[in-house]
Amino acid sequence: MARLPLLRLFSLAVRQLLRDARAGELRVLFFALLVAVAASTAIGYFGARLNGAMLLRATEFLGADLVLDGSSPAREEQIRVGRELGLQHARVVEFSSVIATDNGIQLSSIKAADSAYPLRGELKSAAQPYAEEQPGGGPAPGEAWAEARLLTALDLKVGDPIDVGSKTVRITRVLTYEPDRAGNFYSLTPRVLINLDDLAATGIVQPGSRVSFRELWRGDAPALESYRQVIKPGLDANQRLLDGRDGNQQIGGALGKAERYLNMASLVAVLLSGVAVALSATRFANRRFDASALLRCLGLSRRETLWLFTLQLTVLGLLASLVGALLGWVAQLGLFALLHDLLPADVPAGGLMPAIAGMGTGLVALAGFALPPLAALGRVPPLRVLRRDILPIPASTWTVYGAALLALGLIMWRMSLDLVLTFALLGGGIIAALVLGGLLLLGLQSLRRLLAGASLPWRLGLGQLLRHPLAAAGQALAFGLILLSMALIALLRGELLDTWQNQLPKDAPNYFALNILPADKDAFSKRLHELQAQAAPLYPVVPGRLISINGEPVQELVSKDSPGDKAIQRDLSLTWAADLPAGNQLTAGTWWTAQPGGDVPGVSVEAKVAESLKLKLGDHLVFTVAGVNREAQVSSLRSINWDNFQPNFFMIFQPGTLQDLPATYLTSFYLAPGHDREIIDLSRSFPAVTILPIEALLAQLRSILAQVTIAVEYVLLFVLAAGMAVLFSGLQSTLDERIRQGALLRALGAERQLLIKTRRIEFGLLGATSGLLAALGTELVSLVLYRFAFDLPWHPHPWLLLLPVLGALMVGGAGVFGTRRALNASPLTVLREG
Amino acid sequence: MGESILTAQNLSKVVPSAEGELTILHPLSLELNKGDSLAIVGASGSGKSTLLGLLAGLDLPSQGEVILAGRALSSLDEDQRARVRAEHVGFVFQSFQLLDSLNALENVMLPLELEGRRDAREHARHLLERVGLGQRLSHSPRQLSGGEQQRVAIARAFAANPDVLFADEPTGNLDSHTGERITELLFELNKERGTTLVLVTHDERLAHRCRRLIRLEAGHLVGPLEP
Repeated sequence: MARLPLLRLFSLAVRQLLRDARAGELRVLFFALLVAVAASTAIGYFGARLNGAMLLRATEFLGADLVLDGSSPAREEQIRVGRELGLQHARVVEFSSVIATDNGIQLSSIKAADSAYPLRGELKSAAQPYAEEQPGGGPAPGEAWAEARLLTALDLKVGDPIDVGSKTVRITRVLTYEPDRAGNFYSLTPRVLINLDDLAATGIVQPGSRVSFRELWRGDAPALESYRQVIKPGLDANQRLLDGRDGNQQIGGALGKAERYLNMASLVAVLLSGVAVALSATRFANRRFDASALLRCLGLSRRETLWLFTLQLTVLGLLASLVGALLGWVAQLGLFALLHDLLPADVPAGGLMPAIAGMGTGLVALAGFALPPLAALGRVPPLRVLRRDILPIPASTWTVYGAALLALGLIMWRMSLDLVLTFALLGGGIIAALVLGGLLLLGLQSLRRLLAGASLPWRLGLGQLLRHPLAAAGQALAFGLILLSMALIALLRGELLDTWQNQLPKDAPNYFALNILPADKDAFSKRLHELQAQAAPLYPVVPGRLISINGEPVQELVSKDSPGDKAIQRDLSLTWAADLPAGNQLTAGTWWTAQPGGDVPGVSVEAKVAESLKLKLGDHLVFTVAGVNREAQVSSLRSINWDNFQPNFFMIFQPGTLQDLPATYLTSFYLAPGHDREIIDLSRSFPAVTILPIEALLAQLRSILAQVTIAVEYVLLFVLAAGMAVLFSGLQSTLDERIRQGALLRALGAERQLLIKTRRIEFGLLGATSGLLAALGTELVSLVLYRFAFDLPWHPHPWLLLLPVLGALMVGGAGVFGTRRALNASPLTVLREG
Repeated sequence: MGESILTAQNLSKVVPSAEGELTILHPLSLELNKGDSLAIVGASGSGKSTLLGLLAGLDLPSQGEVILAGRALSSLDEDQRARVRAEHVGFVFQSFQLLDSLNALENVMLPLELEGRRDAREHARHLLERVGLGQRLSHSPRQLSGGEQQRVAIARAFAANPDVLFADEPTGNLDSHTGERITELLFELNKERGTTLVLVTHDERLAHRCRRLIRLEAGHLVGPLEP
């Protein structure tokens, strides 16, 4: 026979596919693919869109979607590119300067912004201190909006002039809220907001002065992404791009964890679907041995046979992927419709990417899992037409599993862009599968000896498992994987929610109080007590600057614009404490127990700052505090839980070392809502004290966490659905054999009850074993994930011991249900086959 | 004549098809006594296997009745018919139909265990020795040749000492030499044990070794009931 042109082969493939479809042959494979693609598309869309919605909220804390931040002005083309992409733009310049008036001077934090600022969120201001605040607007040229504490410090009223450098501006309003200040809400100096047009006239910004230039951008996600891509390679050393994640540490942390969770859940869904595709693809190949042999007899070459089946699979894969992607898209639409009360109205559309990624997932999984068994079809000897027992020479096991694992790894990496998580899941999975599989094989071997004396249902039920120990171990592992995935997702869900809820209890501090003078300290505490506010301890604060490390000036040790630079370019809030504050954890060294013994007092340094400054235990530091140099020796390093809304400090000194220096006090407290009057009175009684409400920030954070919680719960449902799909595809793939067996046993006179009993024993035992494996695996994987991916404390979970029971019930139930066709198989089938 | 073991009265089978109802077996009656042997011959699709299925109680007739070992099959449910099969019937199939998950010995033990016999292992071993497979007891079906698999199937068929043995093309999947040896074995055991044999075959030589023969064409009985 002449070689068939590809087109004829293609039409032959399509026709065969249609015939197979009519015969119900492809249902299982199609269904497995559909679930795989639908699950990953839906989760992809859901994750992407929810993330978009959450980022949108988080961008408020940045005042923009994307910020180009640098210590020198952005270059001309960096602005032009953004404008050409249709992005909205605003510019902000920030620096510290002294505000001078006839009454005195005050170091202040100046922000010069153009009229477009802010691009996300709104400024809030009041006509007079403590008057009702109004949203919107901004200072016009010649005007300044100042925080109330500046007015207090310099004894000013609205309408008074102040000098910013060499420019005189008039205070027109009291600034009460800047959206992008939330992340930095207890900075020490009062804020003054002026118009960008007045900046040049101040004469403050000169080359070399410490200034932060921020280019704010707002626009749709693709344009922002293009901007990011274009701009990123050309960033100067002092420039960086910030997005919602960077806007605020608390929100960044929550988003990061939620994203990792969603990522992991989709990886698990892909993993499960991959298993489903693998099981059904193998069945697809096995059932085509006869057809393959026949085609070879009819003169088709090996290549052509292979092509024919590959084309069939491709068409099937594309079709299932398209329908699956559509289904996934519809599923997430429904999900968002259900959640419309909780989500912002303008949840950004997810674009095409999640659908394409979902389809890619399906096709790569199909290729990885189906091609190796398909390759066997090309090797079916034509002789099989005459002798059905002839099977093709099997492909090397390593090729089969290697290809499948490679495909899986690629998909997982592509979806998570997280190599550590991919390796943790995949590597952990492989090692666990090898170890547990080995143990299972040993277990089955010993079972064989016990079984010789067992009764018929046990022998029949276990006979199948024992006759193909590898397949049985594989099945136990596959079902184990399903239970493991579901347990793990459930476990993490609970754990994440608990962590978040603990992080933001109902009575989390909603006010910060700064600049409490030593003279006011006790009176302020007393007042808080009278108001029944729940307050954190009062921490003394001494502004100081780190100037040398082990005798070397820090300026020479730390390169400009490195992360460490942030810690030394400004005054740090230094404090002292006898006890380790709540939310702090020692990572190195020891906490002091008594007053300093040696000459040099100890200082405890926050671990990330220590890392960026390359500080070690025992390093000798010099700080300048109010014009006096103070020495200290690093005695411990601490990690800080930034999410807890308590006052946190980079440097904590041993008690008794800074007490002689002028200090102010700082605290946070919770006052139930509806006490605005009391807060205003408090401010009036203690005019020097700055009281910062952070209720808005907390509310934002709470609503974000509520959304994440819902997302997490729905994702769990998707994973569950994928797991059930795998379970049934797994059962389906053994159905042919079971129907034959069932029919034969019936013909030989077995009653239905015997068959049911046999199945119950087989699947119950399989499920219990899977559950046991899953319990062990879940503990192992959760240990790894908590430590390396989620940064959560780990402890054992005794409830996992219920998994074997759950496994026996679930797999047992599904097994009997999924193979009921085999129970009802007419004994006549054996004659038809014969 | 001896005692009747299998009776078919006015037996017919009608199945639904795209063109309406299709009669695949037209009414026929027959009666077999203990120790009798009957060959059912005919072309493919003539209704041979349908008749065999009905006689063995694997399927129910549209009309008529089968009485096997004194029990009217159409009044029994599937489980009750299974019990009748377990007690009175043995099978030999063209494609052997051994369970892959069991070894040769366990396959032969199966009907004995369904009957609840305690000496199943001993009896099965004895039977396998009788069919010449005493050395292959622990082999799985995949490790046996076609002829050997059919010997196991025959051993299994005779294991429970059935009253009637149904054989569907027992040599159809075997070469002629092996086929002849299997035929010899089948008839030897049949004679030894006084079993009633119902045989479906294409093979005229095999058919003529039976005492009685019927021929089917398109569902009609055309051949003689007496040889």
